[in-house]
Amino acid sequence: MKKQLNPRHAALSLAIVVFIAAFILSILSAVTIGAVRVSFSDVYRIVLYQVTFGQLKIGEEAFLSSGTMYEIIWNLRMPRVLMGAVIGVLLAMCGVVMQAAVQNPLADPYILGISSGASLGATFSIMIGASAVFTGVLAAMGTAFWAFIGAFGAMALVMLLAHMGGGRMTSAKLVLAGCVVGSLCSAFTNVLIYVGKDAENMKTVTYWLLGSMVSARWPKLLLPGVCAVLGLLFFLTQLRTLNTLLLGDEAAMTLGVNLTKWRMVYMIITSLLSAVAVCTCGIVGFVGLMIPHIVRGFTGSDHRFLLPIASFAGGIFLIWADVIARVLIQNTEIPLGVITSAIGAPIFVYMMIRKSYGFGGND
Amino acid sequence: MTIETKDVSVTLSHKEIVKKASLRVKEKEFVGLLGPNGSGKTTLLKSIYRVLKPSGGVVLLDGNDISAMSYRDTARRIGVVSQFNNLSFDFTVQDMVLMGRAPHKKAFDRDTEEDYRIADEALRRVDMLDFKDRSFLTLSGGEKQRIILARALAQQVETLILDEPTNHLDIKYQIQIMDVVKSLGVGVLAALHDLNLTLMYCTYVYVLKNGSIIAEGYTDDIITEELIRNVYEVECSVARNPVSGKLNVTFFSKLREEMQ
Repeated sequence: MKKQLNPRHAALSLAIVVFIAAFILSILSAVTIGAVRVSFSDVYRIVLYQVTFGQLKIGEEAFLSSGTMYEIIWNLRMPRVLMGAVIGVLLAMCGVVMQAAVQNPLADPYILGISSGASLGATFSIMIGASAVFTGVLAAMGTAFWAFIGAFGAMALVMLLAHMGGGRMTSAKLVLAGCVVGSLCSAFTNVLIYVGKDAENMKTVTYWLLGSMVSARWPKLLLPGVCAVLGLLFFLTQLRTLNTLLLGDEAAMTLGVNLTKWRMVYMIITSLLSAVAVCTCGIVGFVGLMIPHIVRGFTGSDHRFLLPIASFAGGIFLIWADVIARVLIQNTEIPLGVITSAIGAPIFVYMMIRKSYGFGGND
Repeated sequence: MTIETKDVSVTLSHKEIVKKASLRVKEKEFVGLLGPNGSGKTTLLKSIYRVLKPSGGVVLLDGNDISAMSYRDTARRIGVVSQFNNLSFDFTVQDMVLMGRAPHKKAFDRDTEEDYRIADEALRRVDMLDFKDRSFLTLSGGEKQRIILARALAQQVETLILDEPTNHLDIKYQIQIMDVVKSLGVGVLAALHDLNLTLMYCTYVYVLKNGSIIAEGYTDDIITEELIRNVYEVECSVARNPVSGKLNVTFFSKLREEMQ
């Protein structure tokens, strides 16, 4: 191995390895936990049989590839745990990149209006129903599609507003535009809920707005999974530019970064990625904001360490938050957004009062 | 390398801040840019280091239009120390200086031993090597300024643009920073407030007033009592200091008579 030039970097490199290991371990152990008690050996026999495409057969084939246990472990729990992992990675990664792109430590899909746009789209689909307004292909599209359209529309509007009035797209303009679009979308969402008045639909909307992994199945996992992997690979090539962006518009430009171009690229990619996350699982708050913050408190702002560690930490966090959502109250699912906020808020406050970590500025 | 502006105008919110300014920094020349607050010094500099787009005219690097170059290319040739360096995110001093190496790096390049050596050397030059593991946000204004200079040094550029580099600094570090810059032997374009520092270090000066260059020439010829009265509206005496042999400006208070 090459000589490490900086002992702090050596420690942080080790931390990356530890987090990847913890990420994998979390997936493997979270599968064993759930409302239905299944023994470890049963769980792993089924998982082993499936991941080796039937090569590793311990026990009867009928048990390993069909029946209730198989359904619970392989078709319900496994995709659900993986969904938590994937969505966590997506949200935390988007948080990190957005915070760098707008040079604001408070940026996340919420602040930039993307989640609100997704909510509006989903609410429209649930309360009004696409078939009431559109015909043909559009009428057949489900909630996830409309959530994605909402998120994408909100993002486009934010970009447009930030561009208006000429001049460069500054971070202040982006954040303000995000707030404006966010409140606008929330207002329309509330109108739809109010006008809809259907109690059953209202429950569905609320459930969606609070986020959940209940509907996770293998086919649904494909899109966010591919997005998470590609997104992570792409941003791993951008670490130096991301670092430079944190220095501010002017410094970034004088250090050779075409700020306008890269900020636009990052915003579009993270908006798309978070739109995918939100339209798959509803709104899971706090992950995109909090995980990057907490990790930054330990690693510092250097994206070479922050980005990979925060991404995997996001995955780990959401896996376990979802486990809690599944098992905390027997026979009841607690909305995931409630869990993430309930865990996140106190940790966030702790980080805030910890003296060694400021939110920037000269405190 | 020479930097040249030809009839550069900059308009901000419909107001023309810089009007047809033409200046030239020859290879290894230390050029001062003078002018009162609001005369357009910073704006002109920003149009040279590409944060602002000129509304008219061109900026040339060795005769080539700078707007046709990539930002990376310009960053390898021009280093900037500007006035405002507010950060919302924290970095260690060493990481901060290492970022000066960014324009020389490709996406997957790691920081090499050479980069660390260059960063250490830059920190040593500004007398901040002992601070290398400190967090940047905990530094004082003057210390930050010196780190930003170190970052520009680590960029290893042929030209430095300095926007009031001695702001926030006590006299020791004012002289230290100017000495460091002078000793690099690179081309320098510096907006300065302090006329005595200008006389000490700059060989050539341009004077901006209301966005137009109203005087240019060798420093000793340009900084005269008359020009200072005209540009800064202050009375003074410009005389050669017998000890340093340099010209020296002494300002007079408007209350001079009453005080005597």
